[in-house]
Amino acid sequence: MHEMSIAQNIITILKDEKSKNEFKKPVKSITLITGRMNAVIPDSLKFCFDIIKKDIDFLQNSILEIKEEVIKIRCNSCNSEKEIEEPIFLCDNCNSSDIEILSGTDMYIESIDIED
Amino acid sequence: MKIQILRNILEENDKLAEEIRNFTNSSKTLVLNIMSSPGSGKTRLLENIIPILKKQDIRVGVIEGDITTTNDADRISPLEVPIVQINTDNFGGDCHLGSEVIKPALDKLNIEKLDLVIIENVGNLVCPAEFDTGADINIVVISTTEGDDKPVKYPLMFRQCQMAIINKIDLLEYLDCDINLLKTNIKKINPTIDLSITSAKNGDGIQELVGKIIKKIKR
Repeated sequence: MHEMSIAQNIITILKDEKSKNEFKKPVKSITLITGRMNAVIPDSLKFCFDIIKKDIDFLQNSILEIKEEVIKIRCNSCNSEKEIEEPIFLCDNCNSSDIEILSGTDMYIESIDIED
Repeated sequence: MKIQILRNILEENDKLAEEIRNFTNSSKTLVLNIMSSPGSGKTRLLENIIPILKKQDIRVGVIEGDITTTNDADRISPLEVPIVQINTDNFGGDCHLGSEVIKPALDKLNIEKLDLVIIENVGNLVCPAEFDTGADINIVVISTTEGDDKPVKYPLMFRQCQMAIINKIDLLEYLDCDINLLKTNIKKINPTIDLSITSAKNGDGIQELVGKIIKKIKR
């Protein structure tokens, strides 16, 4: 259940952004990117977020939108790149184990939409 | 009106974890973060390796993480090493240790006087992998009773660790676990991981494991 910690972190960042950007209107939606490596369960995270947003005025009616980021890898031996469905970090082109993960491990707030 | 944010959700945790690494580097203290499912033998391994480390004059401290109870710390206390117990039920019953609870625990341990701190994380193969504790080396323990397919089910954990320990090797003859398949599955996720095979019950592989840890000690 790391979803509750993640939901709390989202709220901390949004409070900080509110004070920095000095926006007055409530937030309509938040777009969150989570990589597939992170094992975040979107429904569980939304559930946690919806519980704690109730205490924060400018987030009460906001919707958390979660976009999943696919896992992309690059082989540092033969430079081939591909998207993977299964977590196998071996190059299927040259069998090298020198693999770099290009995407799929990120977890960040991309943007927020504020009432006009 | 759309505002671009682009901020990492774990930015606070990651920042403090980096501060912890600077702090432990300056005192030349090696920090290990041991993670696994509940019941894979983390505490038993500590009971085995700490006396050997102490005999080699390595000054060890332990951070025990559990949702509740001091059972694990109680088991380690006869070994007479400094222990800090973190119970995450005070922090909402968290399933992992974040850097915000590790930092005060390290402060309590007085790390200038320690060569090695071992963090025994909360038993869980998912969440602890997500949260950088500030440790130098992440270690995953997987026991033969858990089955040979677990690495592919919990890839982030095996990807985040630099060392893996296959424990309870003494039970292999009673189980359907295919040890070669288990090793292959670990290497599929993390081909460069350093693998150890142990039985914390009868002591197999423990000396080799301690040898690897001693090589990493910073002073």
